[in-house]
Amino acid sequence: MTDSTVTETTHPSETAVSVKQVGKTYYIGQPVHALDTVTFELPRGSYTAVMGPSGSGKSTLMNLIGCLDTPTEGTVVVNSRDVTSLSDRERTRLRGEEIGFIFQTFNLMPRLTALQNVALPMVARNVSRDRRIERAGSLLGRVGLADRVDHMPNELSGGQRQRVAIARALVNDPTLLLADEPTGNVDTDTGATIMDLFAELHAAGNTLLVVTHERRIAEHADRILHLLDGELERIEGIETPRRPTVDTGEED
Amino acid sequence: MEVFESFRMAWRSIRGHRLRSTLTTLGVVIGVGAVITFVMLGASLEGAIIGDVAAGQSPAMAVSAQQADGQSGPGIESGQAVFTEHDIQEIQSLEGVDTVVPEGSVSLSGVTFRNQTIGLRSMTTTTPEYFDATASGNFSEGATFALGEREVVLNDPAATVFDTNVSVEDTIAISYSSGETVDATVVGILEATSTGGFQPGGGVRPQVYGPTDPFAQSQLTSPSTGESQRVYSRLTVIATDFEQVDAVAERVRTYLESESDANELLPSSYETSVQTNEQFVEQIQNVLNTFTGFITGIAVISLVVGAIGIANIMLVSVTERTREIGIMKAVGFQNRDILQLFLVEAVILGLIGSVVGILVGILGGYAVTRVLDLPFTFPLEWAVIAVVVGIVVGVVAGLYPAWDGARTDPIEALRYE
Repeated sequence: MTDSTVTETTHPSETAVSVKQVGKTYYIGQPVHALDTVTFELPRGSYTAVMGPSGSGKSTLMNLIGCLDTPTEGTVVVNSRDVTSLSDRERTRLRGEEIGFIFQTFNLMPRLTALQNVALPMVARNVSRDRRIERAGSLLGRVGLADRVDHMPNELSGGQRQRVAIARALVNDPTLLLADEPTGNVDTDTGATIMDLFAELHAAGNTLLVVTHERRIAEHADRILHLLDGELERIEGIETPRRPTVDTGEED
Repeated sequence: MEVFESFRMAWRSIRGHRLRSTLTTLGVVIGVGAVITFVMLGASLEGAIIGDVAAGQSPAMAVSAQQADGQSGPGIESGQAVFTEHDIQEIQSLEGVDTVVPEGSVSLSGVTFRNQTIGLRSMTTTTPEYFDATASGNFSEGATFALGEREVVLNDPAATVFDTNVSVEDTIAISYSSGETVDATVVGILEATSTGGFQPGGGVRPQVYGPTDPFAQSQLTSPSTGESQRVYSRLTVIATDFEQVDAVAERVRTYLESESDANELLPSSYETSVQTNEQFVEQIQNVLNTFTGFITGIAVISLVVGAIGIANIMLVSVTERTREIGIMKAVGFQNRDILQLFLVEAVILGLIGSVVGILVGILGGYAVTRVLDLPFTFPLEWAVIAVVVGIVVGVVAGLYPAWDGARTDPIEALRYE
């Protein structure tokens, strides 16, 4: 466990996400500081975990990085673009193209098949139907669900649903994969396979940010951001991240 | 998002929520169906009531030439014979004119039947349509005369003025004021109760009616054709329906005051006049207006009910899909994409509802008119209005829920259970 400097100096193009002096204050009768002057960078291809007790600002941080919300102070830069200066429309566009969301509750569209769910973000970008089917099909193959393309979410197990959600997150080739408690709603074994898949994605060059309250899950990452009461308490580097020994290197 | 894609997604959502879609559509079906049924019922009732009120009446107007200073009231005798055959043809060809019945008078000294002569100043020359077109009364015996024949029709006072009542097939002798006497066969007798209507002078005094050919004698040279034509003192113009009366009267007036023969032939102190039975036309139009108001009222109520139904279900639909909206926004769908999606859904439901509603409405209207034994009338324009309004109602009713859905905060929506 080693403390590292709060800011890392990396070349801009090598930085996927940069969070500078970010604060978020809600006014519910009196001001509530959900986040206070948080600063860090996510280098391209990095694997980072965010830990902290409830109320520490994990969700707020995720919403800010995921372009779902704007900070009251500071700037959030995703793929060299300052999210804070964008209009609502532009932010939605950026979110669709640069961020891949993976949720604890999967958040699949209940009345769409696995294939249609994966293809959904491409509909918003006016990608042709043929191209959508091809891309969604190949991603479902990559997460090991080639034989489940026409299944509805309620016909899939929790682990399969989360893999559909991961395929959907990957569909626009995003700058950042943002996972909120990805193993929170599945059993331990299924959780392990999902973390294996994350490791594969990391090995393939994707940038990952995983929010979790489980130390065991967080240890898969290269480093852990510890949040406490809205402040970045410390950044912990992991010497030897937990990585599945069997699957490593299988990804091309 | 492309419009075609939103149609696909909206259709998928409609099929995915069968019960909800059916209920929404049902709201529109009831709204549009009620409109169609009531409109048909209204139109049928209107037809029946107009038929009753207007029985024996026709949408007619009297055209005559009168002294400009108004010293002489309207009447057959006071009129100047200035309307030529050419004028009749021209008026006949005006828009909204059904029939033109000419009417003239021939000066007589008297009429003789079975050696009894009574004095009669004039006889009316007209065409066979006169008895259908004007409120001159029904035949108690016989029928109308034929053009070109020496046949006459008598009204009841004329038939009973002699010692022996005149009946059909009898021959009477008509003495012109010039002294010439011709025989004519009586072919019809009018009923005694020749009341109502706006034929001045009809019904009370003895009247003899004969065809213009061969009885009418006054002829003048038509200024427009140069030929010698029969002229008449009075025309009865029948419009195609009551609503046309005012417009037709205006057209006839315009014609008469411009290029007509009557305008040329008219003595300087005279002017042409077109008189409609204003009171009666107004009464008919009041009935029509009342019905139009009634129908519109019912239609508006039905559509408001349908619109509230759609808005209600669409609001539920938005709430129910809050989480789905959140997901779509998270993966890059814009506010206007969500808006478009819900609006397209509302339009599809409105369209389907309208089409089914028309069928239901026609069946309902048909059943009601059959039960009430009314004439079956189908107002096509209202069917078209109902479809258009059904779609518009769908859009308007879907607008607020769609807007509500579009502005949903994705963070809240994703947290929504």
